[in-house]
Amino acid sequence: MHLPIIDRLSAAALQRRRLLGLGGALAAGALGAPLLGSLLGSLSSPGALAATDDYKALVCLFYYGGNDGINMLPPFDVARHAQYSAVRADLALPRASLLPLGSDLGLHPAMAALAPVWQAGALAPVLNVGPLVAPLTKAQYRAALANDPRIPASLFSHADQQVLWQAASGDAQERSGWGGRAARAMATTNPPISFGGNAHFALTELVSPWVLPGPGAEFGANGFFADHVPSQARRAALTALMQEPQTAPLARAYGQSMREAFEIEGRLSALIGEAPDPARDSSGIAQAFAAMIADNYFTNDLGAQLYQVARFVNARSTVRGSRQVFFVQMGGFDTHADQIGGDALGGVHAALLQESVQAMAAFWQALQATGMADRVTLFTQSDFGRTLAPNSSRGTDHAWGNHQLVMGAAVAGGQGYGAYPSLLPGGPDDVGVDDWELQGRWIPSQSVDQYAATLLRWWGLGESQLDQVLPNLRNFGAARNLGFMR
Amino acid sequence: MRLADQASFGATEALVASIRAQGAGAWVAAQLASSGARYQRGGDDSIHRPSGTDFCATRGDYCWRDYFATEPVLWDFYRNALTQPDQLRQRLAFALGQMVVVSEHEVQGTDGYRLYHNMLLQQAFGNYRELLRKVALSPLMGQYLDHVNNDRLAPNENFARELLQLFSLGTCLLNADASLQGGRCQATFDNATVRNYAYALTGWTYPAGGSSVWPCLPEQSNCPYLAGDMLARPALQDDQPRSLLAGITVPASRTPAQALDSVLDSLMAHPNLAPFVCRQLIQQLVKSNPSAAYVRRVVTAFVSGRFSAAGRSFGTGQRGDLAATVASILLDTEARNSAPPLVAEKLREPVLMMTGLLRALNGRSDGEALGWWWGEELRQHVFIAPSVFNFYPPNFPVAGTPLVGPAFGIHNANTAFVRLNFINQMLYYDGVAPSNSVPDALGTQVDLSAFRADAADAARLVDRLVALATGGRMSAAAKARIVAAVNAWPADGPQGDWRSERVRSAAYLVFAAPAYQVLQ
Repeated sequence: MHLPIIDRLSAAALQRRRLLGLGGALAAGALGAPLLGSLLGSLSSPGALAATDDYKALVCLFYYGGNDGINMLPPFDVARHAQYSAVRADLALPRASLLPLGSDLGLHPAMAALAPVWQAGALAPVLNVGPLVAPLTKAQYRAALANDPRIPASLFSHADQQVLWQAASGDAQERSGWGGRAARAMATTNPPISFGGNAHFALTELVSPWVLPGPGAEFGANGFFADHVPSQARRAALTALMQEPQTAPLARAYGQSMREAFEIEGRLSALIGEAPDPARDSSGIAQAFAAMIADNYFTNDLGAQLYQVARFVNARSTVRGSRQVFFVQMGGFDTHADQIGGDALGGVHAALLQESVQAMAAFWQALQATGMADRVTLFTQSDFGRTLAPNSSRGTDHAWGNHQLVMGAAVAGGQGYGAYPSLLPGGPDDVGVDDWELQGRWIPSQSVDQYAATLLRWWGLGESQLDQVLPNLRNFGAARNLGFMR
Repeated sequence: MRLADQASFGATEALVASIRAQGAGAWVAAQLASSGARYQRGGDDSIHRPSGTDFCATRGDYCWRDYFATEPVLWDFYRNALTQPDQLRQRLAFALGQMVVVSEHEVQGTDGYRLYHNMLLQQAFGNYRELLRKVALSPLMGQYLDHVNNDRLAPNENFARELLQLFSLGTCLLNADASLQGGRCQATFDNATVRNYAYALTGWTYPAGGSSVWPCLPEQSNCPYLAGDMLARPALQDDQPRSLLAGITVPASRTPAQALDSVLDSLMAHPNLAPFVCRQLIQQLVKSNPSAAYVRRVVTAFVSGRFSAAGRSFGTGQRGDLAATVASILLDTEARNSAPPLVAEKLREPVLMMTGLLRALNGRSDGEALGWWWGEELRQHVFIAPSVFNFYPPNFPVAGTPLVGPAFGIHNANTAFVRLNFINQMLYYDGVAPSNSVPDALGTQVDLSAFRADAADAARLVDRLVALATGGRMSAAAKARIVAAVNAWPADGPQGDWRSERVRSAAYLVFAAPAYQVLQ
C-alpha cells in the first residue's frame, strides 16, 4: 500500500465513475474513499408528511468484511474510554473527537452526518449482538466440547458468519435467509428486492430475490423492434425457449430467472432506469441525494442503492405490495491492516463510515420528504465484529459480537440497547483465557434472532410466525424483543 | 464437445474436430504437455522505486492502468483464452486463480499480477504443495492478506485463516467424497489453531528490489517489491513452539523456511485437503454437484498422484499431483458419459459464457470490453474479485432446487438481461470497436461469415450452431422455434443482407437458450 495516494484515489474515482455510469448492481469491496466531502445541509423535521396507506419496509444494510463496531461506537464515559484506549492503542479514537450518544456511548467522528438523526430520536445503537443458538456464558463456551450444537458453526470465518447473520442460524449450511423467510411468512407480493447483488439474506428455498441495478441503468433485453416482423419472431422464440419445460434443475432455474426478468422488465424498467436528476425530481428524493449525484451519476455506491430504495418505496403503488424487504450493501470492511491513517481519525475505516453515513443521512432526508420515515426501518448487519486488541499491522482481526445501528422514525432511538461488553482482555465477554489469545473477541449478549424478531414484529409478523422464521428464537425464553422499535 | 466445454474456453469447429480425431485421452495427454500462454503486457517494476515526485507525471494518460491496475494482464488473459492452444493449462490456471484469489481491490501493481498469474500457469499441472508454497511466498499475496512483514509480537491472522479456510482445508471436516463428516459441520480448526499458523508464518519480508525516499517500515523489512519470492527475516519471526494440524509441530528453534515447510506438511497430511480441493476443481471444470463417487475417484488420484485410463498413465506418483487430478476429473465416466438422461451440470460463469460465444463464432478480442464493461456488469471482472472469497461461493444455494450452483451466486434478473445484451452487442452492433488507448487493439468482435453459406437452409444453420454451442443438446421443439424465427427473414427478401440476418437470429437464440447457458 505504499503507492502514490493521489494517483490511486483519482484512478479509483475514475473507475468507479465508469462503473456507476454503466449501472450494474454495484460492486462490493471498493476502497470507499470519500469522493464528495460535503455533508447534507439541514434536515427537515420528521413527520411533515405522513402516508395514509398501510406500508412497511425493512432495509438491511450489510457491511461486508466485518465492520469494526468498536470504533464505530466506542465507550464514552471516562473510565471505560480509558480502558478502551489502553487496549486499542494507536487505533483508539480520542474521547474529545467522539460525538456523544448519551453519557456512555460515542459515535465515530466520521459519522457526524447522523447527528441530526440521533437528535430526532430516530437512531438506536444495538450493542454486542451476534450469532447465537441460545444464551451463552463464557463458562459455557469454554466448557463446550468441540462441535457443541450450542456454539454457532465456523465462528470467525467471513463466509460462514455472513451466512449466520443473513440466515439467523447457528448452521452455516442453512440455505435460506431470514429476510426471505420473513417475506414468505408474510406472503408478500414481491420477494425481497436487492440493489446490492445476490444476498443469502433474501433467499428462500423456493424463490430468489429480485436483484436490480442502480439508478439510470437500462433493465431489459435490447435490440427488439415492435414493428418489425423478424424481430418480433425472434422475441417470441426467446420467450418460448425460456418457457420450455426443463428436466434438469439448473436449466430450470436459468429459465425461471429469465422469465422473472421479463416480468419485472414489463412492470418496473421505467422506474429503475430513470436517471437521477435533482433539478427535475418533484418528489424530493433526488434533492436529498444531490450531493452524491454528478451529471446524473452517483459518486457514492451505497447512495445509489438507497436512492433506488427510496424511489421504490415512494412508487409503492407501481412496485405493489404493502410489505417489502430490501437489501443494500457496502464492502471493504475487512480492515486487517492500516485500518487508520496518519492518526486514528482518518484512514480506510473512517472513509468507509463517512461514505456510509452520507448515504444514510440522505436516505433519512428522502424518507421524510416522501412522508415514509416512520414506515421504513434501516438496520445494519456485518460478518462479525473485530478484535479489541489491534495486530501489529495497525489493523484488527476477526471477532464475533458486534454493534449495529437501526434508523427510522419508528425506532425508539436516542439510546443504546444492550450492555457494552467488558473491555478487559480475558474478561467475562472475551472468548480468550490464555495470554496469547486475549484479543477481545466478544461472546454476543444479544442474538441475531432477537435483533431480527424485534424488527420483524414491527414489520408485522406475529409471535408464531416469528418462531417459524427464527427457529432459535424460542431458546431465548421471554427475551423476544430488544425494545428498540416503537 | 463436452470435453471442449470442460477443458477449454469454448468449443470451436476446429477444436471439436481435433478432439474427435485424437480421442479424449490423447487430447488431454497432449494438453498436459503443452504450454504457450503467458502474461506479458503492462508496466515494469519501476513503481516500486518511487522517486518522491508524481510517478505518473511522465508516463502518459494511462499510467495508472498500465502500471498499477490489472487491466493489461486481463488483456492477455482474454487474448490467450481465445487464441492460444494450451487451453487446458489456461482453464486450470483460471480455476486456481479463483481458489487462491488476489484482487486489485486491495493491492495494486501490474507487474505483481503478471508474475502471480504466470506462476499459476506454470504450476497448473505441478503439485498442489508447491503451488501453496509459491502462493505463501508471493509478495503480492503477502500484501493482499497481510503476512508480509508480519510481526511475532501481535501477528495478523489474515493469511493464516484464509490459507486454512479457503486455500487448503475448509471449515468443516470432510469425508473422502467431500460430504460432511457426521452429516453436519464439525470444525476443521479453531481460532487457536489459526493463531498458531499465524505465528508459524511470521518472519517474511518483501524481495529485494524496491526502494523509497522514505524509510520502509518496520525496521529490518524490505521496501515493497512484487517480483520473486518473499525473503526470510528471522528478526520478525516467532520463537515459540507451535502446534499445527495433523500432529505436526514447529519447534522454537527454526528458520522461517523450515516453519513454512512444516505448515505445508501439515496441510498436505490433513485428510480434508484432497476432497476440499478436488471438489472445487470438479465444480470449476465439469459440474456444480458432482456425485460422491466421482469426488472419491478424483480424490484417489490426488492422493496417489497417479491416474490411469485406456493404457495411459498420468502423474508423478506424488501426493497432490495436479496433472493426475485433472486427468481423472476430465476422463472420469461422470464427465465423459453422454448417455441420457441429460443433467444440467453448471451455469456457464460469465467469463466462459463470453469466451464460448466468441470462440464458437470465430471471434477475436483484445479483452478490453470484457473487463470494465461486460465483466463488471456480469459481476466477473477478471482479477478484480470483490474479496479473497472470489466472485461467487462454491456452495451458493439455487432456489427451487436442492442443489448448489456457484455461478448462480452472481446470476439474477439483472445479469440475466446482461447476458442477452452481450449476445445482442456481439451480433447486432458489430461487437465493441477497437479502442485507441489499447496497444494492438482488436476490439471484441465475432465473424459470422463462415455460417452464411448455410443461411438458405434454416434447419441446417440451426443444427450447425446448436452442435457448436451445445454439442447438439437441444430439444427438437426448441430447435423448431429457432428455425421458425430464422425463417421470418425471407430468403432473397428485400430486407438487406438476409443471409447475415438469418445467421444473427439463429445465433442469438441458440446462445441465449438454456441449452447453451447451462452446460449439459
